[in-house]
Amino acid sequence: MPGPSRWMIRISLCYLMLGFTFGMLLLINKAVDIHPAIWILLPLHVETLFWGFIIQFTMGTAYWILPRYLEGAERGRTGLSWAMAGLLNLGILLYLAGTVTTVGTFFLITGRSLELVAVGMFVYLHWGRIATYRNN
Amino acid sequence: MPTVTRFFIRTGLIWFVLALGAALLTELRWLNIPAMRPLYWHMLMVGWITQIIMGVSLWMFPGRSRSDAFKDHLKGWLTFGLLNAGLVLRFISEPVAGPGGSFIWAVLLIVSALLQWLAGAIYILELWPRVQSRKQRLKKRREQ
Repeated sequence: MPGPSRWMIRISLCYLMLGFTFGMLLLINKAVDIHPAIWILLPLHVETLFWGFIIQFTMGTAYWILPRYLEGAERGRTGLSWAMAGLLNLGILLYLAGTVTTVGTFFLITGRSLELVAVGMFVYLHWGRIATYRNN
Repeated sequence: MPTVTRFFIRTGLIWFVLALGAALLTELRWLNIPAMRPLYWHMLMVGWITQIIMGVSLWMFPGRSRSDAFKDHLKGWLTFGLLNAGLVLRFISEPVAGPGGSFIWAVLLIVSALLQWLAGAIYILELWPRVQSRKQRLKKRREQ
């Protein structure tokens, strides 16, 4: 398993734990009404599990498992894949910060923009790898 | 494909159908259950997508036991059991728990939250050491 995949999958597992913890607190709050401010965790719960876990886990796994190039770098430019992982996570962190701070809109838009750039890099890196090397 | 993965995928498919069925019945106003929206999203995102990710990763990631014995996939089975028990309990208790609801439903909802959290923790304990490079994998195999 290549480095960018290992990092993306491990970070996604951290987000899974974080998201499940937020979810557990929200559900317990529904049962016993701990504090109304707990509802601030709802957008964090959604963002950590959707982008942090599900999307990041599948991107990391796809980078590892899709067919490799027969010539040159087997998964394309490695630097670009590290940049993809870095920008995705920076985007997620900024978005999370945007949901809990007063300068929210700037962070939310910048966060989503970085996630979009990371997804663009993901598409660029994988487009040519969606191939079969079997002789027809 | 190990047996535990087949259970994850088949149960995931059942949750997938149940989620969409519940959404359709709610749209048609044939089903009027309180808290249907969060239940629908969790049947879809936890019951289907998360369950598929967990089942397939337990099968595909390096370092899986070749044996299909229950004890060799104990963490996988615990994850499967706790996640689905938690989800079923949530489905039963969430519509009736909360202000004005009986104490037992509140307890069941809390148990549901704890079971799902525990399932996530056990899954991570199983998968974390299996996220490894080819070099690490070969080194581990030589040591065994």
